[in-house]
Amino acid sequence: MGKEKIIPILALIVLIIGGTSSAYVYVTQIDKETISINGNEYTVDQLSYMGETKTIQTVEGEKTGVSLEDLIPKLGIGCPSCHEYTIKAKDGYQQTVEWEIMKTGVLSSIKKVYFPDTPKKFWVGDIVEIEVK
Amino acid sequence: MKKMKLIAGILVFGSLWGFSEVIIGSSLKDIGLPTGVIMTGVFAIFFLVFSRMIYRQPGMQLGMGLVAGGLRLFNPFVGCHLCSAIAIMVEGAIFELIWYKISFDFSELKTIIMQGSMGIISAYLIYIEGYIVTQIATPIAAGANFYLENLIVFLPNIFASGLIAALIGGVVLPVTLLAKKIDITVKDRLYYPTTIGLSVLCWFIVIGNWFLA
Repeated sequence: MGKEKIIPILALIVLIIGGTSSAYVYVTQIDKETISINGNEYTVDQLSYMGETKTIQTVEGEKTGVSLEDLIPKLGIGCPSCHEYTIKAKDGYQQTVEWEIMKTGVLSSIKKVYFPDTPKKFWVGDIVEIEVK
Repeated sequence: MKKMKLIAGILVFGSLWGFSEVIIGSSLKDIGLPTGVIMTGVFAIFFLVFSRMIYRQPGMQLGMGLVAGGLRLFNPFVGCHLCSAIAIMVEGAIFELIWYKISFDFSELKTIIMQGSMGIISAYLIYIEGYIVTQIATPIAAGANFYLENLIVFLPNIFASGLIAALIGGVVLPVTLLAKKIDITVKDRLYYPTTIGLSVLCWFIVIGNWFLA
């Protein structure tokens, strides 16, 4: 088979992969008001009452939210430094951080975590779950 | 002499590519446009294909990626400068691989279907490669661990987001090839002042912007 056939077929395969992936992402997207942490569901308001409010300095300026260092032990998670935390967004994006990073962060009222010393890729937004490993 | 001309070409096109990534990319982001797909589908495809069309030299686009990546290190608007720089350098290499079997006179790309198809394939693969490289490099550069699981669960999103870049690339590449019909020769005595001057201007603006940010 010559290039004049292979190249359009490959392009078609690319479009099919892109199209089916778009459909998959749309169908599997989780949309909910609560955040699941260690198996329990909480609203952002509930979490705000439970933990202390803290302001941190980031590359995008000051960010205010619930201190994760204060919040995590209050959610009944013993030995916070013994775990890793996978923060998951509604679109499937997720980042895993160790306690050393986790404890520096805040959870804002828009369901987004910020960390002062990490690239923005770690700032997961539209959080639906924080898995404790 | 021919080698020097090629090096100057790599420098100018790499600088223009890097300049567009940093300055134009940041402006597009500020107005809420999908920067990644536009930068790949329009600017990367245009500079890579246009330079290949003019110089017809293997390895040139790899060199352009190195220059553009170097310039992108001075982008104050990204979280991980090194990751973005590595991503763009790999983009140049990926382009070379995709186009390895395509002749330098583009004789295979006579029909609009072939041109559009190459645009789709090139833009899509370059885009998802850049995305994946930054996903891997960012945690490592940040001193955190890289978790393969996090990348795997997000792959459908990456594959999906590349679709727009692919469609844009499918249009931009045939449009870029129209330039074959235009005579764009630069007189020898003007070649080096033009290429070096443009390159210096790009670096001057980007680095100046970095200090001002």
